[in-house]
Amino acid sequence: MEKSGSTDSGECKPFSSRQPSVDSIASTSTCPSDRSSHLKPPVTHSSDALSTSTEVSLELQVGTSITTLGNCHKLAQEEPQLIPKESIQDIAKEVTYICPFSGAIRGTLSVTNYRLFFKCTDRDTAFALDLPLGVINRIEKIGGVSGRSEVSYGLVCKDMRNLRFAHKVQEGSFKKSIFEVLMKFAFPLSYGMEIFAFQYGQIFPESGWKVYDALSEYKRQGLPNESWRITKMNEHYELCDTYPATLVVPVTIPDEELKRVAAFRAKGRIPVLSWIHPESQATVTRCSQPMVGVNGKRSKDDEKYLQAIMDANAQSHKLFIFDARPSVNAAANKMKGGGYESEDAYQNAELVFLDIHNIHVMRESLRKLKEVVYPNIEESRWLSNLESTHWLEHIKLILAGALRIADKVESGRTSVVVHCSDGWDRTAQLTSLSMLMLDAHYRTLRGFQELVEKEWLSFGHRFQLRVGHGDRNHSDADRSPVFLQFIDCVWQMTRQFPSAFEFNEYFLITILDHLYSCLFGTFLGNSEQQRVKEELPERTVSLWSYINSQLEEFTNPLYVNYSNHVLFPVVSMRHLELWVGYYVRWNPRMRPQEPIHQRYKELLAKRAELQNRVEELQREVANRSGPSSEKAGSPTVAPVQT
Amino acid sequence: MFSVKPLKPTFKSYLPPLQTELTKTPQPTINKLEAKLLPGEIVVNEVNFVRKCIGAESSRDDLWGKLICTNFKISFVTHDALPQQKFQYANRLLGEHDVPLACVEQVVTVNDAKGKQKVLGSNQKLKFNPTELIVYCKDFRIVRFRFDEAGPESAKKVCLAIAHYSQPADLQLLFGFEYVGKRHCAPSGDQVNGADRAGGPQTPLFDRTCDWDREIKRTGASEWRVCSVNEGFSVSPSLPEYFVVPVSLADQDLKQYSGFFTAQRIPLWCWNHHNGSALVRMASIRDPAQQRKLDQRICNAVTRSHPKRGDVLKSDLDKSLPSIQDVQAAFVRLRHICVIEPFEESEEKWLSSMESSRWLEYVRAFLKHSAEVVYMLEGKQASVILQEEEDRDLSCVVSSLVQIMLDPHFRSLQGFQSLVQKEWVMAGHRFLDRCNHLKRNDKEEAPLFLLFLDCVWQLMNQYPAAFEFTETYLTVLSDSMWVPVFSTFLFNCARQHTEHSRDFARSKNIPLGRDKALRFPPVWDWSQQFTLKDQALFNSPLYVGKGGPCVQNGAVKSFKRTKKNYSSTLRGMPSLRNGLLGEHDYFPRRSSLVLRLRPDFSQLREAAESPSERFFGDWLSRPPDLQGLLLPQLLPSHLKLWRLYFLRWVPEAQISRGGPITAFHKLSLLADEIETLQRQLRQYKGGAPPSSAPASAPGTPQPEQRRMYFKADTPRDPPSPPDYLSSSFPFSPVGNLCRRSILGTPLSKFLSGAKIWLSTETLASETL
Repeated sequence: MEKSGSTDSGECKPFSSRQPSVDSIASTSTCPSDRSSHLKPPVTHSSDALSTSTEVSLELQVGTSITTLGNCHKLAQEEPQLIPKESIQDIAKEVTYICPFSGAIRGTLSVTNYRLFFKCTDRDTAFALDLPLGVINRIEKIGGVSGRSEVSYGLVCKDMRNLRFAHKVQEGSFKKSIFEVLMKFAFPLSYGMEIFAFQYGQIFPESGWKVYDALSEYKRQGLPNESWRITKMNEHYELCDTYPATLVVPVTIPDEELKRVAAFRAKGRIPVLSWIHPESQATVTRCSQPMVGVNGKRSKDDEKYLQAIMDANAQSHKLFIFDARPSVNAAANKMKGGGYESEDAYQNAELVFLDIHNIHVMRESLRKLKEVVYPNIEESRWLSNLESTHWLEHIKLILAGALRIADKVESGRTSVVVHCSDGWDRTAQLTSLSMLMLDAHYRTLRGFQELVEKEWLSFGHRFQLRVGHGDRNHSDADRSPVFLQFIDCVWQMTRQFPSAFEFNEYFLITILDHLYSCLFGTFLGNSEQQRVKEELPERTVSLWSYINSQLEEFTNPLYVNYSNHVLFPVVSMRHLELWVGYYVRWNPRMRPQEPIHQRYKELLAKRAELQNRVEELQREVANRSGPSSEKAGSPTVAPVQT
Repeated sequence: MFSVKPLKPTFKSYLPPLQTELTKTPQPTINKLEAKLLPGEIVVNEVNFVRKCIGAESSRDDLWGKLICTNFKISFVTHDALPQQKFQYANRLLGEHDVPLACVEQVVTVNDAKGKQKVLGSNQKLKFNPTELIVYCKDFRIVRFRFDEAGPESAKKVCLAIAHYSQPADLQLLFGFEYVGKRHCAPSGDQVNGADRAGGPQTPLFDRTCDWDREIKRTGASEWRVCSVNEGFSVSPSLPEYFVVPVSLADQDLKQYSGFFTAQRIPLWCWNHHNGSALVRMASIRDPAQQRKLDQRICNAVTRSHPKRGDVLKSDLDKSLPSIQDVQAAFVRLRHICVIEPFEESEEKWLSSMESSRWLEYVRAFLKHSAEVVYMLEGKQASVILQEEEDRDLSCVVSSLVQIMLDPHFRSLQGFQSLVQKEWVMAGHRFLDRCNHLKRNDKEEAPLFLLFLDCVWQLMNQYPAAFEFTETYLTVLSDSMWVPVFSTFLFNCARQHTEHSRDFARSKNIPLGRDKALRFPPVWDWSQQFTLKDQALFNSPLYVGKGGPCVQNGAVKSFKRTKKNYSSTLRGMPSLRNGLLGEHDYFPRRSSLVLRLRPDFSQLREAAESPSERFFGDWLSRPPDLQGLLLPQLLPSHLKLWRLYFLRWVPEAQISRGGPITAFHKLSLLADEIETLQRQLRQYKGGAPPSSAPASAPGTPQPEQRRMYFKADTPRDPPSPPDYLSSSFPFSPVGNLCRRSILGTPLSKFLSGAKIWLSTETLASETL
């Protein structure tokens, strides 16, 4: 036990057949009180692995390869340690990295088909930069600083930093600059190449592509039931090409009518069920805007459809329609054929606008935020600068909208319909956040993966367009940090309810890092249809495969599995904070903070050791006093492991 | 009673209380409503059928009862219980609805019908009968009473009495004197006096030479000595009788020098670094002609007391830090935006209002300055002299922060208390004036002690496992400033304490016996205010102490090994799973698997960086040793509003079943389990198996006091977190913040908030 998980961890501890090590105790989110019966997924993971010896060896392999993948640098090396299928494309010596924090640093720059690696060669300094090319948003050549012989390149990154390099070019040399090579591999799609995720062939113990299965998720929710049915109408993505194959619709609406409803909703995105309350049967449904247009077109089918959604919930005679947009924007959409539901046409429905701005406003807000946090923070005007970015204000509006939805469903027992214009940006934010408030399942590590798979990926949030994977067109107006905002909102909730989530901050940051990295296939493509067509599950690795192979890293030790706990966060600037651990992490003055968690793990280890000792003594005492008092020696203290 | 001093004629009119009111009451139950009085406490005036407002919007939850003004507090007694009150943190000296008079900031009377409003001062007249009384408190509460059904005259009298008694004309009219006087006379003795204070480890008060001796020994300050030149306060009126000076300075020198310093304040030793450098505080030198010579002498003496004859650096605090008026102004602005301004309306500009209050900026300035002093002591191994005009305000904050950063002893509960005693109480911080207990001079009022507590909170927020105590402790400590019975916060200096308590005893003919004066209890005697059970809320489950509270009594030997292991794997280290990194790894585990790109700058210091920045940078790049040096992270993005303190009464800001307390709760259960196991082990070691029956193990109450407030007795997770947990815990905003409702909220406001949309069902299930 003295090793306490520090050194032996390299050997894949959860799978060893020895006594459970300290770390595995921590990983399974033990708390003194949840040991009784609520064993949830993470534990089954380790017990599965114990079953056969072949599996154990497989695990070991994986373990070591994860290692090479993760810790790609020994400091002494000038070149990165490569991951499977990664190869060096170019190396340039005598490159200067112009660090905004400590000035010019000279070193060697390597570019692979996956990453950029810069290693300082000066003296004995240990400085390295190592980033996946996917995070690069834009590469620009900046005019030579000192005469013609030196060129300088600026890298604008999607993860809140800018990097600047300079290097000498040999006159008359025909050799391409390393930055031209970099350009090609940073934006492979623009150069007719494939994204690296299609080459990376790492094998993980379980496939993350199987994390989410629509049917079993709906089954978990108790669906189908007497009011809701599962339709295969969209099996071949013919009803709506941006929706998933499996949809849940009211029992009373036959498939034929769905088509007519689809004709009235933008991009055919009809209202479908996202979540149903286990007791009240109030539902969260999502869709796109109705095609009302300037003339105020109506659709009997659509009206009947919404009535059916309301009728499916016997508890309430009202239906709330939450339009995520500001009312002005919603009205302006009429010019383009869209619009919103008029309360005349939809009896018993109440329409509420949630005032959340569009993708362009959000993109601009993030741009401003980056200016405020990178590279340096202006000390005297930090808060007002932050306020002027409106970033937290947007976060607040999104959370406030989700809170209103959750409140209507939970406390008002009323069903809600959520939409924005197309129903794949703000709608996804609102439904997923309200589900996170309403359903503790989504607050588990695996539940959260399902939530992302379901509300974001399967319902067609356009990740490819919003992130711009491998595409050099950095000024594309379709790019927007919509998913980042969602993760930020989740982080805000974890701050207010530190023991309500099974995952930790590191988990959220990892998701965001791999949103851009192009290492995994998870966030590639724009819709389920595209992913199926491009065979992403077969040809790429899922982010969840990696995450689920080391869940312990991502587990919040303070998690308490309160099953009926609906979260009502306080959506106020008094509690919202800038996510310093993400946005300010490149600042060397910033120290990552997770001391509570670390300390908790120490305490867990301490408890485990004490328990062992107490049990030992109890056994001793029992042996000494003979069989008569054997029972007294049974472990009466908190059980060692859950 | 207050009869010591001749009473001013005006309040004779409403003294004594009108007994006739009581006999007239139709409901007999009301008769039973009596204020709970402390020794020496008397009822001044009271009024029945008063409504205490609970909600701003409706009177649905309002409480009916009797409002009483005593010479100690405003008391509201009622038979009604607060709606959905599931938890109560009780102060033994105060009832649930009581406000000590010393805590009253402003008394406002309102007459709705006439549309009149008046801020009441002492000895003022009130020309209308109030229908409403609003009391603004120094601890940020706002309590509201309605007199719709009460006798108008008696209501008025109570209001006047409150206004009058909350502004005592003389120090000896503060309730503490009556209280301590009565308790001194009481036969039980109640161990207020003398050495027999409550059991358990005691906080040294530094009013005796032995306390200083011990501190010298503890810090290894062998070249420093305790001097008693100020015995009987014969040299300086504001210095303590005993303090510490360089060995090389003789009493004769000190006496000679004293005349040149402001208020004869000779330089005081505060603390010694183990490298030999010392922290010293001193007042300014009045006579410019003497300045250089004296400076030189003092510096020489300090150098001579440094084993390596290290440099002496001087830090002029008046020049580098905000003044006490600045701090007060910031505090007033912050209070305004936190509790006075309507919640929704202030949302939009919250961040910039916070910034323009400048409170956090000042917190940062004090932390930063202290960190620089730390650098001089630790990094440059130089002794530091903190200089301030009077050496009684800014230096208290800086010297104590420096010591907290450098010396883990002061991060333990006892250590922290001794620090406050040493650097604040004994050094002569003018608590009486800064708290403005006598409401005489508003210009002297300044919340420096609160500022200090906020700075400590920032450190605690950044390094929670480094402190033995909790933010609840800091909050309760700050609240205790407004309970005027503790020696800690009542006086400007030790001499004032001694003289006034002697005079009071004399004038009251209280036999003092062997004591020279009445002894006020220090606030550190927490049993006066809280039960042992409630005091457990002061203990942090995370604390990594010297040997740790978890390895108390050294019962678990093998722990030491484990512990070492753990402290070496403290945070900052890479994910263990990925192995390999070993010593080579300098990348914090924060960055994700493939994105380990956070650069390390520790070896890249350019010349542009100042040595102190390099020192901070180096320190920040290493995992902190919680039992060693602790430096604050000073990026403005790292300084936070101390929400528990500033927002605890704001109902709209309360996160129900959430907030940091939910994590604390879970941690406490684990810490308690560990404690239980350790007790069992000790019992085994002691020979006897733990009381034979297995059931006795975790469940049954133990004779020993358990450290944690939340105990691991219930093994199963409840379906939802305990109702009483909220971000305000252990305080409750219910009935404690009653702003007048704002009518006609515009729609835009409606859209930008959140709470107000919550359906009534939700609101009903919350503690509002």
